[in-house]
Amino acid sequence: MEHGFKGKRLAEFSYPVERCKIREMSEAIGDPNVLYTDPEAARVEGYEDVIAPPTFGTCVGLWGGPGFPDLCRKLGVNPIQMLHAEHEYQYLGPIYPGDILHATIELADVYTKEGRSGRMKFYVVETTCMSQSGEKVLISRATLLERA
Amino acid sequence: MANVRYFEDVKVGDEIPRLTKDPVTETQLVRYAGASGDFNPIHTVHRIGEEAGFGGVIAHGLLIMGFVGQAITQWIPNRHLKRFHVRFMGVTRPMDVITVTGKIIQKIAEENRIECEVEARDQKGTLKVKGSFEAELPSKGCSIDDC
Repeated sequence: MEHGFKGKRLAEFSYPVERCKIREMSEAIGDPNVLYTDPEAARVEGYEDVIAPPTFGTCVGLWGGPGFPDLCRKLGVNPIQMLHAEHEYQYLGPIYPGDILHATIELADVYTKEGRSGRMKFYVVETTCMSQSGEKVLISRATLLERA
Repeated sequence: MANVRYFEDVKVGDEIPRLTKDPVTETQLVRYAGASGDFNPIHTVHRIGEEAGFGGVIAHGLLIMGFVGQAITQWIPNRHLKRFHVRFMGVTRPMDVITVTGKIIQKIAEENRIECEVEARDQKGTLKVKGSFEAELPSKGCSIDDC
């Protein structure tokens, strides 16, 4: 994979936000925040419905999109060699159950660094989620390190 | 709102309340695999974790990021969180007890924005996750939806 691939679109798909998925994610984390499970409690706090925890974006790409092994194939790398080095979320708008997100996954950047054990290659994979009304609501940026 | 914090009431150096999680369990890793869709067997199959040199299964990095997210949103409402970044520094194993700490490192008055650093360490003090987040806090006297 050469640097010319920067900006390459890797996937595009719809992701319906489900109430039970939000609950499943918050329970797996062990986060007892009632805003993720109790619509009434969420309304009292000024939200329209239950909301998604800050790392909910994880399942958008992995359940709605191509999945990690497929993504690696598109990048031309072996999934076994890939380490998750960094992750970033940008929160631009609320996400509620019933929303149909439109997600695009792009290779935002590719760069190399010299490390103690030789040359390390990094891939920044960016997932942008738009709401059904066309507003950007979430950007998720995974920095993956390809082990030599 | 229960956990609203006003921009005027916080200062650089203020710490976010420490969160100590229950020990990570193998069942939790199975549940997180299902929830997230990350079925890399290094997180769920003991033999694969051993073969990879970890001595067994290791936690998903994003699960630990989730713990940090829990600590942040206990301190401020989710809607005030604007950006959240972490670097994965070390592997977490079942029975590790993760504690999340953080503090305000900058206040940007024009935007009512704060920048905080956060980290997650295990019971031995080993660093697992290091990161930062930015939040926009309301000003006193504004209605919450205006600021």
